[in-house]
Amino acid sequence: QGVLDNKVSLDVMDMEVKTILLEIEKQVPVNFTYRSKLINATRKVSMQVSDARLSEVLDDLFTPSVEFVVVDKEIVLRPAPKTAKRSAPDYIPEIIVSGRIIDENNSPVPGVNILEKGTTNGTTSDVDGRYTLAVQDGNSQLVISFIGYTTQEIVVGTQTVINVQLAPDVVNLSEIVVIGYGTQKRSSVTGAVASVDAKEIAALPVPGVESALQGRIPGVSITNNGSPGTPPIVRIRGIGSITGNSDPLYVVDGFPINQSGGMSTSGVTMGGAPPTNLNSFDTKDIESVEVLKDAAASAIYGSRAANGVVIITTKQGSKDKKMHIDVDSYYGAQTAWKLLDLLNTQEYLRYGTDLVTNAGNALPTRFSNMNDPIYPGASQTYAQTNTDWQDAMFRTAPITQTQVSLSNANEVTKLFTSAGYFKQDGILLGTSFERYSFRLNSESKLSKVFTFGENFNVSYTKTANEIGTSSSATGGNRPQIQHIVHQVPYMPIYDPTLPGGYRAADASDGSDPENPVRNALMDQSKTDLVKFFGTAYIEASITPWLKYKFSAGGDFTTTRTFNDFPIYNDGFRARNTHNLADNRGHFFSPLLSNQITIDKTFGKNVVNLIAVAERQDFKNNFTNSSSQQASNLVHVLRGGLNPSITDGGDTETTLLSYLARVNYEYDGKYLLSASFRRDGFSSFAPGHQWGNFPGVSVGWRISEEEFMKVVTQISELKLRASYGKLGANNIAPFAWQSGIFTSSNYPFNNTPTGGSYFNQLANKELGWETTTMTNYGIDLALWENRFTFSAEYYNRNVDNLLLQIPLAGSLGYAVNYLGNLGKMKNWGYEFVAGYSKATGGVHFNLSANIGITRNEVTDLYIPNSTISAGSNADYGPNNMTRTEAGHPIQGFYGWKTDGIFQNQAEIDAANALDGDASTKYQDNASPGDIRFKDLNNDGVINLLDQQYLGSYLPKFNYGLNFSANYNAFDLTLFVQGVQGNKVYNGTKVLTQGMLRLFGAEKEVLNAWRPDHTNTDIPRAVSGDPNQNTRASDRFVEDGSFLRIKNISIGYNVPSDVLRGFAHGSVRRLRIYVSSQNLVTLTKYSGYDPEIGTRNNTNLTSGIDYGQFPQPRTIMGGIQLGF
Amino acid sequence: DDALDKSNIGNKTVDNYFENGAELGTALNGVYASLQNNNLHGREYFFMHDLRSGEFATGGGQLEGPRAQILIGAQAPSNGLQTGVWNSFYYVVHRANSVIDFAPKVPEDENFEASLKARYVAEAKFLRAYVYYQLLGFWGGVPLMTTHVTDITQTQPRATEQEVYQFITTELTSILNDLPVSYSGNDLGRATRGAAKVLLAKTYMFFGDYTKAKTQLEDVKGMGYSLMNNYFDNFTEEAEFNKESIWEICFTSSGNYNWDPEGNDFGPNESWIRSQEYSAVGWRNLIPSDALLAEFENNDPRLKDNFFFTGDTYGDPANPKTLTDAAQQGNLSNFKGVPQKVSWKKYSVMYKLDPGGFYDRNGMNYRVYRYADVLLLLAECENEVGTPTAAIDYLNQVRARPSVNMPAYPTATYPVNSKAEIFRAIMHERMVELAGEEIRNFDIIRWRKNGKTTFAPLANFKDLMPIPQTEIDNNDKIDQGHQNSGY
Repeated sequence: QGVLDNKVSLDVMDMEVKTILLEIEKQVPVNFTYRSKLINATRKVSMQVSDARLSEVLDDLFTPSVEFVVVDKEIVLRPAPKTAKRSAPDYIPEIIVSGRIIDENNSPVPGVNILEKGTTNGTTSDVDGRYTLAVQDGNSQLVISFIGYTTQEIVVGTQTVINVQLAPDVVNLSEIVVIGYGTQKRSSVTGAVASVDAKEIAALPVPGVESALQGRIPGVSITNNGSPGTPPIVRIRGIGSITGNSDPLYVVDGFPINQSGGMSTSGVTMGGAPPTNLNSFDTKDIESVEVLKDAAASAIYGSRAANGVVIITTKQGSKDKKMHIDVDSYYGAQTAWKLLDLLNTQEYLRYGTDLVTNAGNALPTRFSNMNDPIYPGASQTYAQTNTDWQDAMFRTAPITQTQVSLSNANEVTKLFTSAGYFKQDGILLGTSFERYSFRLNSESKLSKVFTFGENFNVSYTKTANEIGTSSSATGGNRPQIQHIVHQVPYMPIYDPTLPGGYRAADASDGSDPENPVRNALMDQSKTDLVKFFGTAYIEASITPWLKYKFSAGGDFTTTRTFNDFPIYNDGFRARNTHNLADNRGHFFSPLLSNQITIDKTFGKNVVNLIAVAERQDFKNNFTNSSSQQASNLVHVLRGGLNPSITDGGDTETTLLSYLARVNYEYDGKYLLSASFRRDGFSSFAPGHQWGNFPGVSVGWRISEEEFMKVVTQISELKLRASYGKLGANNIAPFAWQSGIFTSSNYPFNNTPTGGSYFNQLANKELGWETTTMTNYGIDLALWENRFTFSAEYYNRNVDNLLLQIPLAGSLGYAVNYLGNLGKMKNWGYEFVAGYSKATGGVHFNLSANIGITRNEVTDLYIPNSTISAGSNADYGPNNMTRTEAGHPIQGFYGWKTDGIFQNQAEIDAANALDGDASTKYQDNASPGDIRFKDLNNDGVINLLDQQYLGSYLPKFNYGLNFSANYNAFDLTLFVQGVQGNKVYNGTKVLTQGMLRLFGAEKEVLNAWRPDHTNTDIPRAVSGDPNQNTRASDRFVEDGSFLRIKNISIGYNVPSDVLRGFAHGSVRRLRIYVSSQNLVTLTKYSGYDPEIGTRNNTNLTSGIDYGQFPQPRTIMGGIQLGF
Repeated sequence: DDALDKSNIGNKTVDNYFENGAELGTALNGVYASLQNNNLHGREYFFMHDLRSGEFATGGGQLEGPRAQILIGAQAPSNGLQTGVWNSFYYVVHRANSVIDFAPKVPEDENFEASLKARYVAEAKFLRAYVYYQLLGFWGGVPLMTTHVTDITQTQPRATEQEVYQFITTELTSILNDLPVSYSGNDLGRATRGAAKVLLAKTYMFFGDYTKAKTQLEDVKGMGYSLMNNYFDNFTEEAEFNKESIWEICFTSSGNYNWDPEGNDFGPNESWIRSQEYSAVGWRNLIPSDALLAEFENNDPRLKDNFFFTGDTYGDPANPKTLTDAAQQGNLSNFKGVPQKVSWKKYSVMYKLDPGGFYDRNGMNYRVYRYADVLLLLAECENEVGTPTAAIDYLNQVRARPSVNMPAYPTATYPVNSKAEIFRAIMHERMVELAGEEIRNFDIIRWRKNGKTTFAPLANFKDLMPIPQTEIDNNDKIDQGHQNSGY
């Protein structure tokens, strides 16, 4: 039974054909597509049929001028070919051309129009995509057109076989867009909604879909952050929160994923909350990603939508009712694309001698004993040792992914199922991410009324965390990069005489970097995460225009982080017990949702109305425990010393929601969408739990107006405007209370005795944060959509910010106060343009986007108050960022350098600037030290001489995608970048700051000396008495970069060849090679300019504390279709 | 909407806590616990005092930036170390205020008698007064928080030094009778009446009131304290709560060091990090200054009790090791004209074990107040009020300790014929007896403040530390104009 066999009832008088088609779409699961320029859809007819077959109704409506072709649920209407009417004597055909037409996935396309240009001579392709056409001569051109695809023109020449691969339109205006609780045609969308399709998502070898979105959508900034498996930082249209979570809401197949918040009531981490990342989902299962950027579009998600909404839709059953089995596999190698030039042993001794001697300190005793053996019994001496610590730690790391999927569909059931494996080793030793995943999506028609469906995913991920990051905190909590660049080149990595076998600098070396190889290979911190994630629904089509849907879903996640830190002694540091920590959490979030959908057409009025009542709960519990084993061979807690529960918790929160939306369309020209959501959230203080979130947007399709139709070049012109209010609720349960904690001990008489305390100030009025956003947009398409362009302008204001205020220390509360305080605004512009062309067998798409975002904090809690952040003694003496009203969030803040004091006379002159030579210009300045600028001209350098030194926020983000097909070859080039941002180069503080004796970059050999004054690098002096490492422009660098994010070349084995083996069971075979980050253009001097935050701390974005660098990947893959 | 009404099953809250004596007592333990934190006696407290006392020199390049700056008088208001110390002192104040504020609502019954409640409040008030004395010494007039804060608008401006002084002395005077003279069993370590009186006397002396101080110190003298025969017993884990000890901050060696700035932990992390920071074979961040080493008279046995020299033995006394130059990283000292490596021994675990590299399980209690200090303070009071004989007698009691057994004053180097000469002997005796016990910094400030000396322990010395920049940024009642002079 085909689509055309469906029964239709109509009773219409003088109704336009296009309205009748819409009415039919309501009754039967079909979509009509046609070009209004080719089909006269405004013709009015009357019709009265009851339970008639759709094919008969269409025959009545159109035959003979229009014919229809069925593709899955799509019915394509087009002018009937007129070949039959052609009069034979017009010309004598000379060439018979035949060929096959395939789509971008190499599947045959039936029903494609093939026309000889300038004539009425034409044909259409058959079910196998094959066609045959007789044309006049070699000068004839074939015009190949199909709805949704770029029209191609091909000169016949001497060819008799012309195979054509269709290229999709860059923007397909008949495309269906997922908008949350429903779908909408792209042409009817009035909000700011961006889509990314499966092909783009699958282009990059990344663990989670977030990274795949990088550079794809203007206004959406993605920053990779850390070792494999660490979620990237995603920011939509600027920054939503100063001290809270600014992550967007992710909705997977209608299920909003918990945002773990990140704040807790006790200052103790919420160990059980699963990370808000999408690593549990195989990117190859994803059909499309929609990003709701403006408030009107996202207001439907109300209280959680302030930072934007990312809607992820996974693949459903096959579109062509055939069974497809696809195997997709690649293997690649990742390497660091840049290394630093570090000191070798000879240089280190020279530099170290200067550094220590200039400070008046004694040289490390090792310096005079370099000919000692590196360990008792070794033949090698320290002088002979020259360890390349970068080489020891960076590796060529494999990355691989394989997915097998099956999709099928028949009249009753659609099915998509897949199994996938992904493994990425980090380019630094000791880091990796691995995932096993399974998916089953199905939908079945139980009867004419009821449909049942489910989407189900189960996955297991295992992450080996970088030692020294938050999840694997050890004593110093320092990133591995820090130890690599700080290592002493004459130290060996290994020492077989020591327990554990590793070696580090000791007292006689005057330096104490940790051995990063030992950290990576001995200390293990692994996070396992198992996620069951699914939704089941039943939908009833009560009448042709009224549907009810009930869905129940659940996200069940268990996490376990196991830290296994063995006994060792590296000659300086020692661990005398085998320390084990087992931190486990359970998270369960059930969702129940009731939805009514009404779709109704009255004359020129098209109405879509939904009403939803829904409840989502979040249950979270965790237990952290530890013990210490006496042996390195025992890896369980049982039987260890000091077994203890180190933390734990159990919380439950509830979100109740009522929402409604109406989408109204008049005559295909005037569009209106209005929504309202009311949310109640249990984590807010009683009396402050409910919030209202309205949204409204309007659109005008000028191109549909009669007066515009004369401009035939313009195929689409639409103006849009929207306004809405959104909320944010990323707070921990009971954050409004002042909890009593008993995690405190005091050993009276050496007997630990329990103590209690409260360290957070209650806020019994803690309520919603409100974001108000306006958006203006224009969509333009020219030349039958060959060229498309969209522009947006938005204004986003956050009020009642959920702000963690750093209280005055004297108030005595250790945890910042959480209040609805402060205001911030973001505003910006976004542009997307696309062009596609097909000619002579080559077709290409070019698309470019650019996003411009600006941010300003407009109000903090008290006038002139500031929030400073970033301080870390290893990276200089003070904070690097400051946040205050009137400035962008967390601007880099510090002093300006003003050259180097060349001699004492210059220092004396500076001291006398204020008229009193006895008061110092800079405390402890000596010749060779940096002179800082006296910005307030008071003759003394102090805190008042600081100023803003730039922002980590780029002037703009951009992406550029080029793809081309020629015969069996395809090429993709994807460029992504940011421009005009600054990075605070903390790695340079480590490698050139010369704070104390550590390994360093070769630049320190160029440090100022009395006999070497022509340099901008200050003198080497341990202890940094002049504070040359204070936050200053010395360490602020241009962080702009342009990356060839992906370049890929593929070859489709021709179907003729494929038919020759495996009994023709292989439908499709593509092999490809690709590279990620093949080229990075940047002036940044550190390992990598893509800098996130350290351990997700607030207000430290863009400070390079030794960020895990992004790798360069070269890989090859194969895609097989059966 | 009932679904939104959640109960907090993870912990009690301020609204339903302090319901009985046990909860009040636990909260009081929490005040003590916060004294151990990383910014206070666990770590930074001793750096704050020691870096400004003139008794310490840098061990070398391994001394981290914020510490190095204080050591050379280059501390800025943004200095992280002093900011942490400031904040953590106020954490203690907050916890003490909470106990004091909530005590009245806790019902008394047969298990929780009025006298015990009064003692709890008195202990909390003692701890709060102790912290204000420290704040006063470092920063001068500070915000005086006397009740726990319930609203962010309750910030306070800087009080005057006199107001802080008044608060401390009034407070301590009021609680003396509520504190017992001694404790037993698992109450050892709590605030005693003697501790309160020592603190009161020190506060009086800080403001030059020697008469009042003398009265309090004489009371302490009458409480049964006496000197240990062996000076070194004051710095071992084995001789904790000895007869010389008036108040100790308690540590145990179980578990690793706890880096928390509030002193919170679920595990048994109750050790302190000092041994690691200063020990000869540890980080050796600070070493004794040449001036301190030079202060010791020839043959004063306290020299070897305070410091390790190359060639000394350490570790398990049954299996001692010999300390080498190579094992001691960093700088040399100049002792008796000879450059050599000298390291701190006081409060190091090396007297009984070889910590071997990183070792953070120092469990010995920190002796905040001990009787030798009281005797020397008494000597100072007697000298000031005009009874030199008594002063000399107190000085000589300290020198007569059997393990010390130094010749009595007057000596050739230290005649005691005048008030000034006696004061010089007092300065000397305090320096060698109390070396590295976080006492000399405040001694010097006190003496300078009261015109007894103009001696500055360091170049660039400023009597007051800068009010932390974060306090100025976030306290609406303190602005740049209220900063201490010189910053």
